[in-house]
Amino acid sequence: MSEFAIRTQGLCKHYGRKRVLHNLSLDLPRGGIHALVGSNGAGKSTLFRLLLGLTEPSSGSSEILGCESCQLTPALRGRIGFVNEEHTLPEWMRVEAVMEMQRSLYPQWREATYREVLGNFDVQPGQRVSELSRGERAGFNLSLALAQSPELLILDEPTLGLDVVAKRAFLEALMFIGTDSGCTILYCSHQMEEIERVADNLLIMERGELKSVSPPDEFSARVHHWIVEFPERPPANNEIPGLLQLRRIDDSYQLTVLDAGEPLQQFLQDRGARVHCKLQVSLDEAVNSYLAKNHRTAQAAQ
Amino acid sequence: MIKINTGDSRPIFRQIVDSIRRQIATGELEPGSKLPSVRGLAMQLTVNTNTVAKAYSELTAQGWVESRPGLGLFVSKPRKLFSDREQERRLNEAIQQFINQVIGLDYDAGQLLERLEREIKALEKGQGRSAGNE
Repeated sequence: MSEFAIRTQGLCKHYGRKRVLHNLSLDLPRGGIHALVGSNGAGKSTLFRLLLGLTEPSSGSSEILGCESCQLTPALRGRIGFVNEEHTLPEWMRVEAVMEMQRSLYPQWREATYREVLGNFDVQPGQRVSELSRGERAGFNLSLALAQSPELLILDEPTLGLDVVAKRAFLEALMFIGTDSGCTILYCSHQMEEIERVADNLLIMERGELKSVSPPDEFSARVHHWIVEFPERPPANNEIPGLLQLRRIDDSYQLTVLDAGEPLQQFLQDRGARVHCKLQVSLDEAVNSYLAKNHRTAQAAQ
Repeated sequence: MIKINTGDSRPIFRQIVDSIRRQIATGELEPGSKLPSVRGLAMQLTVNTNTVAKAYSELTAQGWVESRPGLGLFVSKPRKLFSDREQERRLNEAIQQFINQVIGLDYDAGQLLERLEREIKALEKGQGRSAGNE
């Protein structure tokens, strides 16, 4: 058995002339909750599709549970759960029938988990899937995915559209399925507060490239917020070591920087800057500043 | 009651450590009382079990709680945790950190002292476990 749940090497994907994934190499150990973040179009969903063998890479390779993605057998697929963003389910089927079908397909089916998670939604067994609201469909789909007790569970924006109570119930189920059955969970989300609570590991993608892999608190510890003044000549943005974001408020400069200890201190000293304070930032601020640095803006697109 | 604020600049495990230490200092958690299990607290707070485990191991390492094998974690009896010198060093470090954080804020010395006094008195209102002064 491979010690890695997921391995990719130099994975690239182009759609026509558009580069969606570039040289992505990732070794994801078994176990734990791995959260993937990135701006829209960072390539998260494409990565999932490649991992699951739903599309072929332009170059490079990917393995999932020790098997090449494009050669996954039905038996292996039975050990992998995938929940897509749209929560696609057969619209014409009744909830009960979908559940029966899933239960018969997955020998590891956990009835208790299914009931516990679904219990947070007002979903009746006799309802047709097409009659469910978006949130109810999400809840139903997630209950099915968790009850299958997969070895690897891949979720694309699972909590989108869930209310606070439902979200909490889902996160709890997600956490304990990870701890209790050693399931590896890879999920992408924009909800930083969720990630802060449940993720063991944070993966950051930007424009088709994997930028950072570390526990969430280690990532936030790399980012700091400085408030300084430059009594003399203010520096240009590209001169400031590690700069992610800069805001000017009256005379003070608010700098958000990455991995900038010594060099920044030296720089500020050389420029005769007055330092008001150096602050730690939350995970939310750290990730947003990081992604904002290269985020496409209307100006840049011109 | 432990409260977790996501979006705080302190990581969650640090918030748990701070919160439990404060409860012990105010006497809300008395010596000998049992902490919730790792899983129980993780469930209560909806945070990862590894995060709770990390907080508990730090509290144990610092001597605030002790583990009784098979039974769980219990609040330790008050005792001096640090040497006089180490204690002095830590106090100084804490003060410097505080100063650095408030230096850019718009409060005068009187306001700052008043706020500090209120917080410190709140700690003393409890049983007054003052780690290190016995």
